Amino acid sequence: MNPINKHNTHIVMPFEYHQPATVRAAVEILRKHPGAKPLAGGTDLVPKMKQRLLEPKHVVNLKKIPELSVVEDRGDAVYIGAAVRLREIEKSETIRRRLPLLSSCVRSIGSVQIRNMGTLGGNVCNASPAADGALGLVALEATVHIAGPGGERQVEAKSFFEGPGLTVLGEDELVTGFTVPVPTEDTGTCFISVGRTALDISTISIAVALTMDGDRVKDAKVVLGSVAPTPIRLADAEKQLKGKTLTEKLVEDTAMKVSESIKPITDIRGTAEYRREASRGMAVEAITKAWREGRTQR
Amino acid sequence: MSSKPAFKVLGRDTQRQDGVAKVTGREKFASDLSLPNMLHARVLKSPYAHAKVKRIDVSAISDPTVVTLTPDEVPDARFCPRLMSTPEATYKDWTVLTSKPRYVGETIAAVAAESEEAAQRALESLVVEYEEFTAVFDALGSMEPGVEPIHDYIELDEETLKVESNIACHLEIEEGDTEEGFRQADHVVERTYRTNRRYHTQLETKSVLVRPEPNGGVTVWSTTQTLHNTRILLHEIFGIPMGKIRVMKVPIGGSFGSSIQVNPVVPIAVALALKARRPVKLSYTREEDLHDHCSYQMIFKLKLGADREGKLTAGHLDAWLDIGAHQIQAYPLLGCVVGWWVSLYKLPAKSYVGKAVYTNKVPSCAFRGYGNPQITWAVETLMDELAEKVGVDPLDFRFMNYIGEGDLFWGQGPSVKSVIHSCGVEEILTKGAEMSDWYNRPRAETQTGRHRRGWGMGRGYHTSSAGAPVPGTVIDFGGAMLKLNEDGTFDYVSALMDHGGGTLDANAKIIAEELEIPHHKVNIVRADTGTTVYDVCTHASRGIYSGGGAALKVAAQVKQKIREQAGNLLDAYPNALKFRYDQQREQAVVYAEGIEGREITYKELAYTMRNKNLGTIAAVDSYRQPSCPPHFTGYFIEVDVDTWTGKVRPLRVIAGADIGTVINPKLAKGQIHGGLAQGWSMTVNEDTPYDPTSGDLWNRGFISDYKVPTSMDLPSLEAFTVFFADTYEPTGPFGAKGIGEGALNPVAGAVANAIQNALGVRFYELPITKDRILEALKRKEVEA
Repeated sequence: MNPINKHNTHIVMPFEYHQPATVRAAVEILRKHPGAKPLAGGTDLVPKMKQRLLEPKHVVNLKKIPELSVVEDRGDAVYIGAAVRLREIEKSETIRRRLPLLSSCVRSIGSVQIRNMGTLGGNVCNASPAADGALGLVALEATVHIAGPGGERQVEAKSFFEGPGLTVLGEDELVTGFTVPVPTEDTGTCFISVGRTALDISTISIAVALTMDGDRVKDAKVVLGSVAPTPIRLADAEKQLKGKTLTEKLVEDTAMKVSESIKPITDIRGTAEYRREASRGMAVEAITKAWREGRTQR
Repeated sequence: MSSKPAFKVLGRDTQRQDGVAKVTGREKFASDLSLPNMLHARVLKSPYAHAKVKRIDVSAISDPTVVTLTPDEVPDARFCPRLMSTPEATYKDWTVLTSKPRYVGETIAAVAAESEEAAQRALESLVVEYEEFTAVFDALGSMEPGVEPIHDYIELDEETLKVESNIACHLEIEEGDTEEGFRQADHVVERTYRTNRRYHTQLETKSVLVRPEPNGGVTVWSTTQTLHNTRILLHEIFGIPMGKIRVMKVPIGGSFGSSIQVNPVVPIAVALALKARRPVKLSYTREEDLHDHCSYQMIFKLKLGADREGKLTAGHLDAWLDIGAHQIQAYPLLGCVVGWWVSLYKLPAKSYVGKAVYTNKVPSCAFRGYGNPQITWAVETLMDELAEKVGVDPLDFRFMNYIGEGDLFWGQGPSVKSVIHSCGVEEILTKGAEMSDWYNRPRAETQTGRHRRGWGMGRGYHTSSAGAPVPGTVIDFGGAMLKLNEDGTFDYVSALMDHGGGTLDANAKIIAEELEIPHHKVNIVRADTGTTVYDVCTHASRGIYSGGGAALKVAAQVKQKIREQAGNLLDAYPNALKFRYDQQREQAVVYAEGIEGREITYKELAYTMRNKNLGTIAAVDSYRQPSCPPHFTGYFIEVDVDTWTGKVRPLRVIAGADIGTVINPKLAKGQIHGGLAQGWSMTVNEDTPYDPTSGDLWNRGFISDYKVPTSMDLPSLEAFTVFFADTYEPTGPFGAKGIGEGALNPVAGAVANAIQNALGVRFYELPITKDRILEALKRKEVEA
């Protein structure tokens, strides 16, 4: 049967529904049923099931596991449970104050209706190269907490992704949360994205974090979305900034470096040429804003 | 300019009769309906863009209650699902199901089962063998020699036609000596334009519920803009006597022209219901709906000439319409494209060659404006360029050449000509120029920096209906019934459909105005084909001008009957009687002025007539309007272009509309806001490109990759000014004209001209996406 007669149905294949109360129980279900899919907000999983891109025999609801829904200020870092809804993150005073970059990344995801359902864990595990939430986590050098049959392990956010829809997660593993380091006071950040309309998956997005000493860049993170199989940090651009005194010329040169070092593809949201071209201006804007913010916050 | 009568009901905002049901979600649309013992249907769609079905094997379906339908089980009649033209202008190339699919998504077979899920499972058990043919996705490429024919034979008025070079139909017209006209021109500009192929994105997907009746007939609840043409088509396909086909009026969840034709779901569900002898419901998913209809993509080569003063001397247009896999209304559209074009500006000489071309894509149909937004975009873009060459301001250039009052006008094509008797073009352009400070707008090429601003203007019109003094190839008449109820209220019964814009309420207000009662005293009846007289279709912005004309005609007849009956009962001369509304009694009163006691309310009249067995006061009649007056519109739009991201934002919109008498100001303004939104999106965003490898839509039908704007993409309400010209259409009901399509038609031209004003770059292909803007800026940079 050709996909056109399946992907248009909105009718999912039958599955068994599980609702564990603990992470341990959830992992046990995943272990017992290879191919089982964890369900958080469902904003990515359910459409994929209705499109018959996924036909899991077991679905594991994570929303009844209390420990997955906590947001905790731990001083030098903020811990965010994987099943915290995007809308809660957006409204969280702690995150807005302590992690303004992540806050603006999250605000860019979908619509209010989507954010009312979707979770940060889902945004990350769906592993779309366009995931705005993932961009913020990579730029802030967050740690991903993973639970599996053998206990917990931790992975750096930038190493979590392996390709579109692909992560380091084993079939019997589960993301439980994120530890996001709070940037130092002298760090300025900026996230911007462009889509076809206001409510759209990003055609291209960029997150920048600059730790400043006056106009001198102590540390730089430049992360782009939708230009590679995963969200990527641009080491060349970062190197160009680190240790230098920022000038408009340096910003321009770095933006050019950004544009030259990405290898985007053409898809329905935009052409490769567009992404390359737009990345330059977006990098200028993001670096400049982060620079100003880092300087003034000192 | 006009001496308008003072109105009591018209011109005021009134609450819609279906308002509560709609805002509370209690309105039932076709897709909401169900019947006891009903089966659910699903359709099997072709995975190939061009193929022959060699075999369909249904034997693997294990569920014995499933009903299947294959191409050899349906009547083999060829038909055209759109019946607005006379037979000699109606090309037929459709069948209920096809064994020669011509695009990815075309329906080959159908199944009905106890649930949608059971139907889907059964569908997946069908085994189909195909023979694949090469497919073509471009109109110009489709006409090349050696390209696989998409249709071998089609029918026209009972005759069989061989299709040559995949050209579905063509039309050529010349008036005046075009060659001579261009010789007289001091300036000539010729450009090639290509429009996009847009999906209607109407809220409700195409749906139908069919109940087979014991007498061999069917009752049909469907998404449609035309009850009566649905009945005629089902009669033609299935041979069921018309009296046994009952097509019910169901509220339609938006359409924008996509249900002018009888949608393919309707005959499929009828065939299934007749076979199953049970009610069958077929409701398309959004993805199926995206594979069901779209707008016409057009390629134009347009040439205009003007003398040194700025008077147009001649024009030539070559138009290629990419119609997709089937004809819905390609031939009438060829006439309309030339009609829309030559009725914008006075062209002493003009010639036209139009060709409608088959491609292996989703069939195109009317989409708000029926080709008018497409050609008006090209014309308004070219008018700006030509004005530049002549050295006059583009606005002044339009003032010098527009077609207005007293001019002959043939918007709906060469067979639908009439003279214009109301025109607000001057007022729209003058006021718009004032409000936008037009003559001080930025000059193209002078701006630098990241954000650039520009103003653009575009003007246009649409016909209100397709009426004319003499018959042509376009059918356009309607009718209505009105009766006085015993409590002094009225029942208004018509086959007209309300697309959501408030058409039926507007017509109830026209009746109320005539009968001197408040609007809520006119009850809008949900009727069907058996209880209404023929109405062609609610399309062509004809709901108010034509439908309201019919309503007014029967209201006047009812009023005359009230006079006569009241005259008898009051012992007064009917023609001497007057009417007024008594707020306290909440009744209209018929009275002999100055004579005490000689008065009677509508309620007393109706009750007395009942008690004395005198009958019901009612009138039913058909109405053919004498013209199709243009409703003129003009947009002045300011945009911001971000040269770093290519994103265009609307900053200010000033829209003027000449719609004659305004019946409901808020709803009329709503039409303009909606027109702007669709036009904006047409200009900068929407398209349905194909993936040549799979032959399917690139987005595979998923709405997540067919973006339409939300309020966040559109101008704030404070930055959006709408004004109405002070006009009165003498042939319209109480001076009214249409608005639906004119609200959209000039938007793309205005936005494109604004982008040009900001960047100094012209675009000849829609949509002008962020990608195309950056590409053009880069090219410009390299060239410089």
